[in-house]
Amino acid sequence: MKSHHMMKLMIGFYIVLFFGYLFGPLIIMSITAFNSSDFPRVSPWDCFTLEWFPELRQDRFLVEGFQNSLVIGAGVIALAVPIGLAGALLLTQLGRRARSGFYTLMISPILVPGVVLGISTIIFWRRMGEMIGVPGEDNFLYEGIFMTILGQSTFISAFTMLVFVARLQRFDPAQEEAALDLGATKPQAFRKVLLPFLKPAIGSAAVLAFLASFENYNTTVFTILQDKTLTTVLASKVRYGIDPSISALAVLIVSLTLVAAFVYEVLRRREQKEAREIEARARAAERLEMQEVAQGEGGEDGPARSAAEIRAELPAASGKGFTLQAHHLAIVLALIAVAGIAKLMLTDDVYAATACKEEIRQEKLERQQELLEKQRQLMQERQQQEQGEKAPRSGDYQSIFDPGNLQGDGEEGSDAEQAPEAPATSDGQSSNDGKDYQSIFDPGNLQSEEGN
Amino acid sequence: MSLKRWMTGFMEKNGLLVGLYILGAVTLWIVLMIVLPQLFMLDFSFRYNLPPAEIGGPKDVYTLSNYKYLIYGSAGSAADYNWIDLSVFLQTIIAAVFVTLIDLALCYPIAYYLAHTAKGATGRLLILSLIIPYWVNEILRAFAFRIIFGASGVINNFLVYLGLIDQPIDFIREDVALYTGLSYAYILLMIFPIYNAVESLDRNQVEAARDMGSGWLRIHWRIVIPFAKPGIASGCTMVFMLTAGALAAPQILGGPSSLWFTQLIVQWFNTGGNWPRGSAYAIALLIACVAFVLFMMRVFKIRVGEIGR
Repeated sequence: MKSHHMMKLMIGFYIVLFFGYLFGPLIIMSITAFNSSDFPRVSPWDCFTLEWFPELRQDRFLVEGFQNSLVIGAGVIALAVPIGLAGALLLTQLGRRARSGFYTLMISPILVPGVVLGISTIIFWRRMGEMIGVPGEDNFLYEGIFMTILGQSTFISAFTMLVFVARLQRFDPAQEEAALDLGATKPQAFRKVLLPFLKPAIGSAAVLAFLASFENYNTTVFTILQDKTLTTVLASKVRYGIDPSISALAVLIVSLTLVAAFVYEVLRRREQKEAREIEARARAAERLEMQEVAQGEGGEDGPARSAAEIRAELPAASGKGFTLQAHHLAIVLALIAVAGIAKLMLTDDVYAATACKEEIRQEKLERQQELLEKQRQLMQERQQQEQGEKAPRSGDYQSIFDPGNLQGDGEEGSDAEQAPEAPATSDGQSSNDGKDYQSIFDPGNLQSEEGN
Repeated sequence: MSLKRWMTGFMEKNGLLVGLYILGAVTLWIVLMIVLPQLFMLDFSFRYNLPPAEIGGPKDVYTLSNYKYLIYGSAGSAADYNWIDLSVFLQTIIAAVFVTLIDLALCYPIAYYLAHTAKGATGRLLILSLIIPYWVNEILRAFAFRIIFGASGVINNFLVYLGLIDQPIDFIREDVALYTGLSYAYILLMIFPIYNAVESLDRNQVEAARDMGSGWLRIHWRIVIPFAKPGIASGCTMVFMLTAGALAAPQILGGPSSLWFTQLIVQWFNTGGNWPRGSAYAIALLIACVAFVLFMMRVFKIRVGEIGR
């Protein structure tokens, strides 16, 4: 029993650690977006600020990349969702051997490195342009956004296909047959029976396709050519210089992700609940039918009452009011979050902690002054000591604080010591040393922070 | 003949419009997006790097020179083999194996716990929270690790504060940041296949083994792992392939001295300006990854059909 408890404790500890690993980096990154320090970091904490958010709008490349990403995302949805659906529909109608062959072929783009997909896409479309006789600059097929949509859709279609395959496994072909028996044409049956059944899957496939497209880097970095997407702009920003506005962007993306995940989960729960209700209703209806059949055969009084009871169950089974509320609540929450983010982005006069930053600057200056003072005292004491001792080693002491003196010979050094302007030189040295001391307490470069 | 019969049946079943849509979309996907681009890239990798005017001309002939370059280096060089590129290649493969094993070790307990112990709302919440980090941009995830592992990052500051070290450790140069970031990047693709496999295991088997006196180690080794083998293989394949083909994490988290093979490919395409050679390198990466995965599946006696579900 005791070891069982131990085990449980260890598992719990491991799960906490694991989720810490998953979320820790994202949380720390998000926190750095609110620190006024010029370098994204949590400690030392300077001031709480929102100034990094409006700054994102100033970045022309970022805005342009974001717009391109939206266009590409829409294009990928328009291409990958129908393709994935067609692939899934084809798989359901194939024999076993053909199905596994097609399945492997369709899944393969997920496993092929994204770099390879990107390269093959640009080579292929450049070649296609040459073949139809529009080489070089005029090649309308060799165009960043067009090729990115195609390159990304190559593997994103496989994702959407998996979503549709999962949904189609639950489809009852009898529904379609019933529609056809009742006189529907085949396109009608497709549009009125199959598509409504697939509607939730179409929604989640579209969300999935957009997200996958939005965050893709490996393929896009080749296919986008001279254009930019949000991800490629981000990558070059991160590689060539880090500043907290990237963290601010991360906060936006993480919070939008949270909202999307929340809405997605609420929608899915609703769908599951509906599925359960439909099943419950069907079962109740079946029981009802059986009761009625039994009654028709001239049964007793008892079943008549229970049949009424079952009939009463039917409307009660559908609790539409409640689910609609949860659904609405989710959407309202999502809207609030989006509105909050929009406000943060669009107002110029956000809380930028000017007073606090000034305070911190003052504090740093004071601390520097203090160190300077201390240093000066130390120097003076030492010099007094040296003058008192007149030791031959005094030149070495001096050289510790001023490497420049190393070049001069010992005699010159001792001359300088005895000269009246000695305090002035020690002042200059100590200010240098003060900075070195400072850097022990503050890894960041003090000078650059003052400059900004 | 049978294809024609199949086509008639297919059109009969779906109606002309829907049938044409299905066949058209799938053909577009498989032919224009999957197969032909790969074949063109393969073809391209066997050609010389010519200026556009000479493409299709008399000089445009097949050659093995791009592959030779990967193995032997340029003809003028003193060394017998192109050790620089080959060692990057080997390092990438070995590091990808390493990352895959880390992920397997990290994920197996979690997947088992989620599949068998956590039920209902808690389980769903945990699964949802697994997905969330994966939705965040790949670049930003790497960026987060750069903040954590930087010279004035959280870990260094903490260690200095505790007094364990007095100088910040350069985690980026030591590639600690790279491996941590890569393990993080594709961890979800390890959890879900194992989770799906373990979930379908009949609990009674575990109970029976426990009743007969097996310890938990033995239960996992003899019952759960053999049962979940397809899921484990599928997760390992995906993590290995994606790690070997990763580009963002090595670019952002890689130390100055370490290169990932994909970075070499990018160099040939961008600064190197030699597309055929870049294609040859890409093909080499693809073939090596696929061959490695097939070899491992042979060793562990898993069929290809079991992968991917």
